[in-house]
Amino acid sequence: MAVPIANHIRRLRFEAGEMTQGELAAKIGMTRQTVAAIEAGKYSPSLEAAFRIAHAFGVGIDEVFQWVEER
Amino acid sequence: MSFREKSAWITLVSVLVCFGIYFWELVASHAGGRRLGPLPSLHLLLLAVSGLVLLQIALTAFAAATTPKDARAPADERERLIQWRAHTLGYHVLTVLALLLFVPIHFGHSALDMANFALLAGVISTLCVCAAQIVMYRRGF
Repeated sequence: MAVPIANHIRRLRFEAGEMTQGELAAKIGMTRQTVAAIEAGKYSPSLEAAFRIAHAFGVGIDEVFQWVEER
Repeated sequence: MSFREKSAWITLVSVLVCFGIYFWELVASHAGGRRLGPLPSLHLLLLAVSGLVLLQIALTAFAAATTPKDARAPADERERLIQWRAHTLGYHVLTVLALLLFVPIHFGHSALDMANFALLAGVISTLCVCAAQIVMYRRGF
């Protein structure tokens, strides 16, 4: 089931010089598979992990994740 | 495939092979009219457990050698959550199977049979844990 949280990790990785999922995973202390699951919207990260991802890109957390209203 | 998913596959396959052979031998000997006594059963069990340990060590070492960085890294939050959910499922399966152990008591099974039923319950719950982990790793969560 898809989680009601959208993310812009793919775009942010592209803007960070085509950072790979593996490179992002190494920066935030997670596996590449977990980064892929977060990026695909299959897994909602913890608040700490969300902050780590935002910090890795040097942006605020709201630039990475957005709540999507359920209909 | 992450190292932990490989580990789940390794446990699933090795438990299936080793205890599959163990229970197959028990059933085959029972069907052939030569029921194994406590000592031959114990020898067979020791062989199955030894085989399981050796198979797991060999396959895990091979998996770790192919992905050394991944193998050294601690489990992240998603992996810990997957393990927790899978073990919760395994606990429920084991609880139900342990309760079902009261059924064969009424059919006059021996203490050895009951021990094997209990072992089978443990094996099935372990297989459920591994299968649940693999499904969650495959679908993302």
